[in-house]
Amino acid sequence: MKLKVYADRMSQPSRAILIFCKVNGIDFEEIHIELSKRQQLSPEFQAINPFKKVPAIVDGRFKLFESHAILIYIASAFPGVADHWYPADASRKAKIHAVLDWHHLNLRRGAAGFVLNTVLAPFLGLPLNKEAAAEAEKVLTSSLSTIENIWLKGDGQYLLGGFRPSIADLSLVCEIMQLQLLDEKEHDRILGPHKKVQTWIASTRNATKPHFDEVHNVLYKLKLRLSLKQSSQADGERKSGIKGPIISKM
Amino acid sequence: MMGKLKVYADRMSQPCRAVLIFCRLNGIDFEEIKVDISKRHHLSPEFTEVNPLQKVPAILHGNLNLFESHAILVYLSSAFPGIADHWYPTDVFRRAKINSVLDWHHSNLRYGADLSLVCELTQLEVLDEKDRGRILSPYKKVLGWIEDTRTATNPHFEEMHNILYRAKKKFQQQRSRIAESGTEASNMGGHSKM
Repeated sequence: MKLKVYADRMSQPSRAILIFCKVNGIDFEEIHIELSKRQQLSPEFQAINPFKKVPAIVDGRFKLFESHAILIYIASAFPGVADHWYPADASRKAKIHAVLDWHHLNLRRGAAGFVLNTVLAPFLGLPLNKEAAAEAEKVLTSSLSTIENIWLKGDGQYLLGGFRPSIADLSLVCEIMQLQLLDEKEHDRILGPHKKVQTWIASTRNATKPHFDEVHNVLYKLKLRLSLKQSSQADGERKSGIKGPIISKM
Repeated sequence: MMGKLKVYADRMSQPCRAVLIFCRLNGIDFEEIKVDISKRHHLSPEFTEVNPLQKVPAILHGNLNLFESHAILVYLSSAFPGIADHWYPTDVFRRAKINSVLDWHHSNLRYGADLSLVCELTQLEVLDEKDRGRILSPYKKVLGWIEDTRTATNPHFEEMHNILYRAKKKFQQQRSRIAESGTEASNMGGHSKM
């Protein structure tokens, strides 16, 4: 029985799983769960993951959720996954766990919170929250600095000084990609100061092509839609002489 | 030959306690090095070398320095002989389920743990201002910590404690009425368990 991956490509951890499977030639079926249509709340999906979150997998009779646990499981249970993704060496493995653990309350909390509360919430039927956005931005910038100065220290261009990517690189880069939805100025303001981070994103993207861009297509399309909306709003404001923020942050 | 395991911990921290208990239970030979957060030891240059993120718990095992309690627990389970399989099973399916819980814990239970403690203390809110002041004021750090946790978990914190604040208001009103009427204040039974 084929591995089933329940995912929404708008979800950062979903993308990490999909890219990982494709890069490693794993035979799987992608089952789309549309978050904007609240499909994660269906009784069918709840039977898969009672926490109603994507990604989730079903491997035969074995069900699993939480993207890091899934990445580790796939790396361990499927043959042909190269060692650099999840090394057998206990020390290197431990360091990867440390990054993945750190990620939850740092980069993920900051990046997801910031994008949600400045751009994405309306698509999920939620209100934008200015205070939450400000709080999330602090966590985000602090996390990016930590990646720049601590996690990317070392000889290689990947996390923890690695010369090849690991599941930690994939998980964190997919998270940062969500920032693509911000308007150009915001995006550059936040990522601009972090040169190593930018190089690392490019390396990871390159190491996993063409799957990286293919899986991120939904995100790129939404980004385009948003930037066109932003330009037409800006045009409208210029014509009517009304001053105002390009994207309403409330 | 690996040097002796060093565990950098502050026993006020739950994840530190988890690591210490794990080591003790499994008879792991280690040295506990106390890092007093309240005295800002975690910000010292010596400790920053062990963990550049300046957090406890952290371990030093030979050349390996490691932090994040879950990563530490998993590492110890694998690195030391004689640790019972049930702690971190070698079976890939059982292990995956444990990893899943550990991940979920980060985003959910950990906030809950701090929260439940602060909730306990917030029950003191229903006391008369003077009493509460008397009890809590010597503990500036506790007050600070309550505020931090409150801030970190708002708006949910305030929302959940609304019922407590309403009760406080009720008691205050009752106290004023009693004071006015000159009736002797009976035991109000200030902290009801929420």
